[in-house]
Amino acid sequence: MASHLRFVGRTVMVQNGNVDAAYGVLNRILAQDGVAEAVRRSRYYEKPWRARRRRAFEACRRVYSAEMARRIAFLARSSRQDPWLGC
Amino acid sequence: MAVAGQRVLGWGGRAIALCRGLRTGPPRLQDVAGAAAKETEKQSATEQSPPILQRNSMRWDGKVYEEVPIAHIKATYNNTHIQVVGFDNQPFSRTSCGTEGFQNAKRGTAVAAQAAAVAAAVKARAKGVLHVRVIVKGLGPGRKAAIRGLTMGGLEVISITDNSPVPHNGCRPRKVRRV
Repeated sequence: MASHLRFVGRTVMVQNGNVDAAYGVLNRILAQDGVAEAVRRSRYYEKPWRARRRRAFEACRRVYSAEMARRIAFLARSSRQDPWLGC
Repeated sequence: MAVAGQRVLGWGGRAIALCRGLRTGPPRLQDVAGAAAKETEKQSATEQSPPILQRNSMRWDGKVYEEVPIAHIKATYNNTHIQVVGFDNQPFSRTSCGTEGFQNAKRGTAVAAQAAAVAAAVKARAKGVLHVRVIVKGLGPGRKAAIRGLTMGGLEVISITDNSPVPHNGCRPRKVRRV
C-alpha cells in the first residue's frame, strides 16, 4: 500500500477509548473485503491446479448456500396473507 | 482496493465521489469528506453563504490527526516488532519480543507481544508521547495483544490501520509445507 494515501484505507478510528471494539470492526471489514484471506493465502504458494479447484469449489459453494438460504427463508416465512380467505 | 465506503443515500450524486473512507462513525479524516457533510448540512439549513471548507476539529493534545505519532506493529508468525515514530519519522522507541528476553518459539506468542508493547509504550511515554495511531502489518499471534499492550503501557490509541502487505500476484512465496 505504499503508493496509496496513508491512513485512508483500512483505517478505523477508536471511539471512547474502546480499542477492542475498533479492532473488531477492523477485523470484520478485512474479512468481508477478503483482505485477510488474501494475506493468509499468499503465505505459501498455491499452485495453479489447486487455485482452479478452489475457485470452482467456492463457486459451487456460493450457489449451494444461496439456494439453501432461499429455501430456508421460504419455509420459515410466517406472516403472509391467508391463501384460503373466504372458504 | 479495500477502502470501506459508505452507502450515500439522500446526498445526491455530487457527494458520492467524495464519500470514501472510514466505516466507523463521525470523525472524518479528510477535509473533503468533512466539507461534504458540512456543506450539505449548511445548504439544507438554508444558509446564505456559499459552502465553506471547514477543518476537522478533532485534536489530540492540540495536535491534528496528521501530526500524532505512529506506532508500527509488525506481527509475523515468529515474532512481533513494535516501533513508535513521530509523524516526521523521528524515532521514539523500538522493541521486539527478542529484546524483551524471549527466545525462539516463545517470541511468537501473544504474551511476548504484549510485553514488548508495554515496554515500547513505557519508553515512548518517557519521551512525551501520549496519543498514538497504530499501523498493524501482518497476521501473527501478536497482532491484537500488541495493541492491548500499548494501551496497558499508557499510550492512548486513537486509530488502528491495517497495512498488511497484499501482493497483486507479485513475488512468488515459498512452497507449501508438508508436515
